[in-house]
Amino acid sequence: MNRDRMPPLALVLTLVGAAAMVAPLVWTVLLSLKSNAELLQDTGAAFRGPYTLENYGAILKGDMVFRWLLNSLIVSLGTTAGVLALSSLAGFAFARLDFPFRRTLFVFVLLGLAIPEQAVILPQHRLFAWLGLHNSYPGLILPGLVGSFGVFFMTQYFRGLPRDLDEAAALDGASTFQIFARVLLPLTVPAQATLGVFTFLGSWNAYWWPLISATTSDRFTLTVGLASAQANYAQTNGLGYLMAQAVFASLPILIVYVLFQRQIVNAIGGAVK
Amino acid sequence: MRTARWQGLAYVAPFLILYAALLIFPLLMGMGLSFYRADLFGAKVWTGLGNYGRLLSDPVFLHALRNTFKLVLLIVPTLTALTLALAVALNRRTRGAAVLRGVFFSSSVLSVTIVTLIWRFVLTPDAGLFAEVAQALGREPLPWLSHPDLTIPALALTTIWWSIGLPMMLFLAGLQQIPSDMYEAAALDRSSRWTTFRRITLPQLRRTLLLVVMLQTAAQLQLFGQAQLLTAGGPSGASRPVVLFIFEVAFVRWELGYALAAAEILFTLVLLATLAQYWAARPREDAR
Amino acid sequence: MRRWLAPLLLLGSCAQGPDRTEIHLQRFFGDCSAEYGRSLDIGGAEGECGIVTTLLNRFRAENPDIELKINIVAWPGYAQLAAQMAANEPPDLVTMHQGLITDYQTRGLLQPLDGVLAQAGLQPADFTAAGQRGVVKDGRVYGLPWDTVGGLFHVNTRLFEQAGLMEGGRPVLPRSADELLAHARRFKAATGKPYLVQSSVNDPATHTRNLYTYLLAQEAVIFPDARHVRLRTPEAKRVLELFRTLEREGLTTTNQDNPAAIASFLGGEGGVFPTGTWMIGPFDAEAKTPGRPLYGAYAVFPYPRLFGREASFVDGHSWVMPRRERTPEQEAAIARLLRFMAERNFDWSRTGHLPAVQAVVDDPRFRALPHRADIAPLASNGRLLPPYVQRQGAIEGLIGEEVASAVAGTKSVDRALADAERRVNELLASTL
Repeated sequence: MNRDRMPPLALVLTLVGAAAMVAPLVWTVLLSLKSNAELLQDTGAAFRGPYTLENYGAILKGDMVFRWLLNSLIVSLGTTAGVLALSSLAGFAFARLDFPFRRTLFVFVLLGLAIPEQAVILPQHRLFAWLGLHNSYPGLILPGLVGSFGVFFMTQYFRGLPRDLDEAAALDGASTFQIFARVLLPLTVPAQATLGVFTFLGSWNAYWWPLISATTSDRFTLTVGLASAQANYAQTNGLGYLMAQAVFASLPILIVYVLFQRQIVNAIGGAVK
Repeated sequence: MRTARWQGLAYVAPFLILYAALLIFPLLMGMGLSFYRADLFGAKVWTGLGNYGRLLSDPVFLHALRNTFKLVLLIVPTLTALTLALAVALNRRTRGAAVLRGVFFSSSVLSVTIVTLIWRFVLTPDAGLFAEVAQALGREPLPWLSHPDLTIPALALTTIWWSIGLPMMLFLAGLQQIPSDMYEAAALDRSSRWTTFRRITLPQLRRTLLLVVMLQTAAQLQLFGQAQLLTAGGPSGASRPVVLFIFEVAFVRWELGYALAAAEILFTLVLLATLAQYWAARPREDAR
Repeated sequence: MRRWLAPLLLLGSCAQGPDRTEIHLQRFFGDCSAEYGRSLDIGGAEGECGIVTTLLNRFRAENPDIELKINIVAWPGYAQLAAQMAANEPPDLVTMHQGLITDYQTRGLLQPLDGVLAQAGLQPADFTAAGQRGVVKDGRVYGLPWDTVGGLFHVNTRLFEQAGLMEGGRPVLPRSADELLAHARRFKAATGKPYLVQSSVNDPATHTRNLYTYLLAQEAVIFPDARHVRLRTPEAKRVLELFRTLEREGLTTTNQDNPAAIASFLGGEGGVFPTGTWMIGPFDAEAKTPGRPLYGAYAVFPYPRLFGREASFVDGHSWVMPRRERTPEQEAAIARLLRFMAERNFDWSRTGHLPAVQAVVDDPRFRALPHRADIAPLASNGRLLPPYVQRQGAIEGLIGEEVASAVAGTKSVDRALADAERRVNELLASTL
């Protein structure tokens, strides 16, 4: 990494870019702090006081947004855990074990990298209807587990680990599973973190599948719940309230991001090899 | 050792079973149904290639296809150049650079619904941030969400703002793997920054660059939520991408077979984009 | 704090008592939990969202043995409903436009309500003629009609006064297309503001309503049979050209979606807002609030007769019951809810919609509501599309999209009408 300061022109441009990144967020926060009646007259009022917390008060007074937040967390964490487990197992086997049809199966898995969600989502919807899995946590989590990227990614990472580690462990009498779980898995933490962040964000942002699979509002994820709130014909709840909902719903993940920013950034940096 | 040879299958089985059941099977099922005139509720009539023929002469689908290409062409190069420049600028060990990396990544953690909610009230000509700024400057606000020439740029702008984080991180990761002695040699040669960038940084980042272009192309070919929530594909289809077309045909018009035929065409496009990337990556690998 | 813990505790466990019957209701009309979250004050609520929210709150309070789960969907919610039905997970009661009932009924997706209505002590004869037309298909009742809705000209009388368009305290509305243009030009010259406030962005319903209404006025046959629409006609061209001229001459607001148009009208930024019956309640409330731009300056009328005769395209909301397995207890709970909704039809009519229960129409309380005499013609000359027209929702989207291009000038009127006709015919031809 470079130690010296940025050239002035680059610095100015970067700061302008950063301002452009932040301005919409600041605007949103300002809107959320205004009374709905005032915003109806003029949204420019957001630049001036008086500010109020009434919109946040209204959210705390009982709203589905808590439930949606919780559902999003359950689904995203469930998906992430599932993807990490499945990809690590499969990645280890593809990288280290010799078994029948290994190459064929790996190519079969790689094929999945090119399948867009849209090519399968409608039949998936039917399939899940037959299985009676709609409107349930498994129904929301399962489609997120079948992406090939995780397996591909973990296979590459396992391949990069030195072979002598397994050989030494095998000489000590370790079983294949012990080599996987005790020796190699701990070394893949950076890759796990990267894959975890990617998967978590992907699942957190998933929109189409929960839109058609979650059928009652107590199973909505945040994306779907907020979409139903914002796209209503007569925007009855008012702009300030909508924006407060947006800020409120983003807070948990932003806080997690700020707390773990260094790990997330390092993880992504460490694992793309 | 016979058990050991089969043991590997046990490790890949959990993934493979789910993968085959929940991805490959629906894929084949969708391909099959695309040859039927089928509605959402189970009724179907065989039409062979009828759906595909109809798609290729459906001006609305072709318009959607053009919109999708426009979005890809607007978003992918801009995003790639922007994030590459940012990564080079922010690849420093200063505290300021760390904070700025955080700022540029922050939007990536927001869900599409929140992104579109925020941008609706940045772009809307009556109440948006842009409108307030335009009025302060004494200008007419632009109808970003309703003018046929502006809705696609509006979607592109929103998408770039939203997705700047990950490609930037990928480039930063790539930059950190460039051995520092290469730069030291360049410094001894008194190469200019630009020459160093062109001669060392860019060639070394080639694989990352391909990865970013490939991931972004695949992602933007599938752009959906922003268009549905921000412009609803309007005005009059001017910003309707293929995926929104598929969604509307399936769930509003109930023509499942027709929607699936469109989805298979999209699948082919993504497949071609992926293969093109492998093809582009190959000469290098051979040379090694 | 307890409220936010509750869902955590309930998670995963079906902790409802075994004695409570659970029914799922799905509705549009928006989410206004911020304002009316727990309110039981139906009379104090304003607007569709406020009234339906307080009504359902009240039902919950009065029926502690029923666990009423409510799903609020984004307008109009039919994509989700289709997905739910395809997934065999439909709700127990859903809001549905009467024009769409045929689509679901012909595919066997709705349960006839005759039995449940009888259980609720209701019969078709209790509904208005329009309500019956909307929900009775092939001799069976498929929904509880809840109202009749249509488009209206909402007028800012203060601006009309400035433009000299008031006579004896009443707004002067045009009686022909030419007169409309003349009024609009005069209005603009006098006030500097556009005559019309229009929700034209992302709002196919508005465009389609304008076209249907003035086609009906000219007695044009829109759907000659179940598989065809007829739009390449001089009648249709006349209507679109009028709206195109209004737009081209800057006599209307442009680039506004529905919330923006509402805000414009409330802010006194234009003379007439052609929108639905549902805005009477909220606008009237503004008109009674001192200090607001609309204070003491609001009147409302059916779409004026610009061509041919007086006519209005109308539709109505209803509550339908998707087909699925239910226990007798659930059906009984649904019957109680339907009875409650029918009994409260007066409260719903405060939104501005015309009631669907005949007793409410005859109720002096309803007649005493503001503006109801002015909009009464809607009840007599309002017309639905022919009952054999399927996919009315999808058709509205297609036609609305093409009309929007013609009005905005991105397509010629002829081209837009031809495209609309072709797209609708293709859709109807592919309907299984």
